[in-house]
Amino acid sequence: MKHLTARLVILLMLALMTITAIYDYFRLVREREQLVEQTREDARVFAETLALAVRWNVRRGRTTEELQELLTEILARPGLIGVGIYDPDGRVVATSVAEGKPASTRDDAIQEALKRKEAASLMLEAGGAQILSHIQPFRWPGGRTAAVEVRQTLEGVERQFGRAIRERLLSRLVVLTFFVLSIAAVTRWSIARPIRALIEGARAVGQGDLAQRIHLARPDEIGQLAEEFNRMAANLEAAHQEIVQQGDERLRLEQELQRAQKLAAVGMLAAEVAHEVGTPLNVISGRAEALERTIPLDHPAHRHLDVILKQTERITGIIRALLDYTRPRRPVLRQEVVLPLLGRVADVLLGRTRAKGVRIQLDLPVVLPPIQGDADQLQQAFLNLLLNALDASPPGGIVRVSAGDEPVLPAEGRVGIMRGKAETPCLAIHIVDSGNGMTAEQLAHVFEPFFSTKGRGQGTGLGLPIVEEIVRAHRGEVEMLSVPGNGTEVIVRLPLAPDRAGDPSGAVPEHAPESRNEGR
Amino acid sequence: MSTPRILVVDDDPEMRALLLDELRNEGFEVAEAADGAEAVLAVRGREFDVILMDKNMPGPSGLDLIPGFRRTCPRSRIIMMTAFGDVSSYVEAAEKGAVEYLFKPFRMEEMKAAIRKALGSDVASEGEPRGEPA
Repeated sequence: MKHLTARLVILLMLALMTITAIYDYFRLVREREQLVEQTREDARVFAETLALAVRWNVRRGRTTEELQELLTEILARPGLIGVGIYDPDGRVVATSVAEGKPASTRDDAIQEALKRKEAASLMLEAGGAQILSHIQPFRWPGGRTAAVEVRQTLEGVERQFGRAIRERLLSRLVVLTFFVLSIAAVTRWSIARPIRALIEGARAVGQGDLAQRIHLARPDEIGQLAEEFNRMAANLEAAHQEIVQQGDERLRLEQELQRAQKLAAVGMLAAEVAHEVGTPLNVISGRAEALERTIPLDHPAHRHLDVILKQTERITGIIRALLDYTRPRRPVLRQEVVLPLLGRVADVLLGRTRAKGVRIQLDLPVVLPPIQGDADQLQQAFLNLLLNALDASPPGGIVRVSAGDEPVLPAEGRVGIMRGKAETPCLAIHIVDSGNGMTAEQLAHVFEPFFSTKGRGQGTGLGLPIVEEIVRAHRGEVEMLSVPGNGTEVIVRLPLAPDRAGDPSGAVPEHAPESRNEGR
Repeated sequence: MSTPRILVVDDDPEMRALLLDELRNEGFEVAEAADGAEAVLAVRGREFDVILMDKNMPGPSGLDLIPGFRRTCPRSRIIMMTAFGDVSSYVEAAEKGAVEYLFKPFRMEEMKAAIRKALGSDVASEGEPRGEPA
């Protein structure tokens, strides 16, 4: 910043100095000319007077000695360094030279003046000093022309001129100093300081301190710049906060969905195990019970049967505990709007859609009737459905999400399967992929746990069973339609919120009492 | 009062055998079916007082069969069996008209109690006197 001020000051100073120097130079040259002219004029007037005086004295018949005396007296006049009288032949009649001054004269100039009978003024150089010589012709008794010469130094002029230069320089110096100091102060105050503030602010913002603001209450451009800077910083801050919030939200949702997905998968697995194990356990315990009844009570085999029965109960207890842990919680039904739910899920899938080159297109009207649902569980269901649709679509494909009563896929050649049964008015959400579709044979199995059309190790085979479970718990239905070679469509129908459906009792009734589950 | 007739529908032969043994011991007249198709054939031939049916079977599930049974033999009371923890199918079965529900593994006493309860339930009183055994 010092550089800017210094550069500005030096620049202005140079400009100012150049202008004043040129001006002063011409001014001084003119002044000097005037001084010289004035000296010349003085010399002329004096020479004329002297010529008259000499002529008068000569006519009176004064001797050369007397004239010499006159000249010596005249020489006392300041500035005069020599006077001389020349007869019509150019010979010196009388002359007087100041002490220590050169007595040089130019005979040719005197001859010329005598001949032409005209006054002449010329500059002589003597001993490094300039001398002004004025030759004035006058009438010599007898009608011929004689001349007087007055030589005058220009020392006075030079002195005066030197003083003028010194004075001018001094005044210029004072003005320049004052000027430089004021400019330095003004630039420092009005440019350097605010710019420094702007630099510091910009640096802070650049380093991530987006709360940084610059306080410059100025109406000028710098003030406007500061205002713009503040506005920019505020926008950046808001945008940054939004991004951070969105990121947090997405991360939270992703983790939640992942956790729910895992739990649901384990739950499905546990339920499957419970299913498979239930029957053989029942056979064992049932046969043991039968034996227990037929064997007399005091028979030692009774102890063995007791152990068998206890241990089957123990196995039952273990699986039940696992089921309890993983059992999906009952949905907490609230009035929900589907669009933001789908938006969030699509957001979570952003990375995957980009990586796969498949686009999720939400063709939903902004205003959709609210439904009765559990946001978390519905998000999980939509996540599974969109994941399936993404996996089924080829790169460059589109997954379309829409709302409407009629299926999107054409009726011709369409096969379908439906799970759950909705008994109240519903909102239908359609998810249509751009994949190859499925055969009726494949469709028949899609809702079975551990059935997957995806490659080995890709799908868990639990996505759709989880969707089914969630949709059923919502008292809705899920339908899967496919036109082989033409894509697959999943329709999720969810009951509308009671006030919309005109059925205030539309809330989902409680599930089976838990006590039923406890068995005996 | 004639001997109540019970149809056991389960795809697991050991389970079926166990149930048949227990019910015969109790003095019931029993028949068996290994899947939905056999069950449909069985109810076409004769009327049962109770149908004890597993939910999970190859082909149509127990839940799928209930509506048909409700139509063809409305006086038969249906008891569903399924693995424990299968709460959602309990709800569905109850809605479709099953009167009792047993979660495997259940005690034989529990099963017998459910059958006695089903036999004494409303459907029986509504119905006409049962026909003679074939």
